[in-house]
Amino acid sequence: MRHTVLTSLAVVLGLGLLVAALADAQAPPTWKQGQPANMADSTLAPIPQPPAPKAAAEIPVDKIKVPPGFKVSLWASGINNARVMTWGDKGTLFVSSRTAGNLYAVVDKGGQREVKQLAKGLNLPNGLAFKDGTLYVAEIHRITKMVGIEDKLDAPPAMEVVYDTLPKDVPHGWKYLAFGPDGKLYFNIGAPCNICIPPDTHANISRVNPDGTGFEYFAHGVRNSVGFDWHPVTKELYFATHARDWLGEDLPSDRLDVAAKKGLHFGFPFCHQGDTPDPEFGKGRSCGEFATPLLKTGPHVAGNGVEFYTGSMFPAAYKNRIFLAQRGSWNRSQKIGFRVMMVTLNPGGAPTYEPFAEGWLQGGDIWGRPVYTRQMKDGSLLISDDYAGAIFRVTYQP
Amino acid sequence: MALAVAVLLAATAQVGRAGDVEAGRQKSALCAACHGPDGNATAPGVPSIAGQPNFFTHWQLIKYRDGRRKDPQMSAPAQNLSDTDMADLAAFYEAQRPRPRGSKTEPARVAEGRRLAALHHCTSCHRPDLSGQQQVPRLAGQDLDYLLKLLRSFKAKTATDLDGLMTMSAQPLHDEDIVNLVHFLASLGAETP
Repeated sequence: MRHTVLTSLAVVLGLGLLVAALADAQAPPTWKQGQPANMADSTLAPIPQPPAPKAAAEIPVDKIKVPPGFKVSLWASGINNARVMTWGDKGTLFVSSRTAGNLYAVVDKGGQREVKQLAKGLNLPNGLAFKDGTLYVAEIHRITKMVGIEDKLDAPPAMEVVYDTLPKDVPHGWKYLAFGPDGKLYFNIGAPCNICIPPDTHANISRVNPDGTGFEYFAHGVRNSVGFDWHPVTKELYFATHARDWLGEDLPSDRLDVAAKKGLHFGFPFCHQGDTPDPEFGKGRSCGEFATPLLKTGPHVAGNGVEFYTGSMFPAAYKNRIFLAQRGSWNRSQKIGFRVMMVTLNPGGAPTYEPFAEGWLQGGDIWGRPVYTRQMKDGSLLISDDYAGAIFRVTYQP
Repeated sequence: MALAVAVLLAATAQVGRAGDVEAGRQKSALCAACHGPDGNATAPGVPSIAGQPNFFTHWQLIKYRDGRRKDPQMSAPAQNLSDTDMADLAAFYEAQRPRPRGSKTEPARVAEGRRLAALHHCTSCHRPDLSGQQQVPRLAGQDLDYLLKLLRSFKAKTATDLDGLMTMSAQPLHDEDIVNLVHFLASLGAETP
């Protein structure tokens, strides 16, 4: 599967301002944009999203390796393109998708999971957040809410618009969505390109009040962050970012960052991984102008889900560790990622960075792509897989 | 081509419940009315779907069912398709041999279209021989009227693609370019050299 794999949802060029600017430049498709001339014959291309989920019997859950004492089981399957998971107050797990355009509810009925489709045909509805009985959904062009959804799973309420003053660009336009400790909804507006000077409305993490007022940019120079969480103690925002493609097998690294305050700039497109100026856009700029990453998480690993562990099932040392789900590489001849990493923050020192769950990549072949995590009430950990269309559960027993 | 076939088969095999060609044939009667019994249509404006990559056909059916792609003929029947039906139909049509539509093309337009196809990077995703791959459709030998209507729709931003890529790619094209491009695409032999 190394050859000729293309996803429609690769990094692709914007439809808005960029198009006008590049109208006469015959831009290549966005996933190919920034490819150096000497790599024009490269067979590297994004991995296509399968149109259908895998059958339960075809999901090799035993291939997922976790540390001693932990156990992995298949918790739900047949959820096409399963992405972000968020809990309702009454125990419903809401699950988003991206390419599939669907929104799901998973209800646990005595050990059997029932999957209901709440909506279809949505515009890459990746982001989900839940508060006070209301589910918030982030598509590319709007954030909507479904009030009282948990009592109406079989006849879902209308999606009411919360905020829709948003760019419509598809490339990196799909969003993560989460409530911050300040009660605001945070989401990303990604760069509409692989590498470009983005319009100043893009390449950021933004926030808005849940009633749609008070929109503001929170972090700048963020190429695309589709996963973030807040430290349980310090309440600071930690976020993962996908770095640009076509700079090489090992450059630049994706990153995990912390934004202790509003208004910081994280370097895109001028400086990558905190220390590597972009060969084109870095001219005349210095990496010293920008916030440096907390952790270089590896080239092309595609870190998505970021979640602090706050449960009590796992050993005490796991408290406040970060789980980082990596969807995996395409722009690299040896695949990398396709695993859930674990980050232990060490005050005053570099974080410890080690695998937690891996095995979706077997040799050069993949059978799934872990993309987000979500703790259960009992402290076990769910992992969604948007390629196999499944959700796994990790438990611990000493 | 052998390699490409192997790659596509490998990709298909990775999708759990792989489509069943024979089951797809059984389910294709309604489709045959317009697309032909083996997916080679003859009516101008109706696309041939023989030899289209499995993922492409499957994704289009999902889009019709979800209302993300709309068509007076396709939207209604797609509502009745299950995921398994879609997988079977996609597998069936991928296994059919595409034949050229024999659209009437003008040599001068074909020559200019060939230049434009390279200039606008059509071959990056649709492959150098325009035979398509994965979720990217085969264009070689497709019906001229259908290609013309679709590419104009992408230019007008009224057609939907999964990723916005075609809408973006069509924006620099003048209508004359579109006409030339589709003459080139329609002129190609449907079978991969």
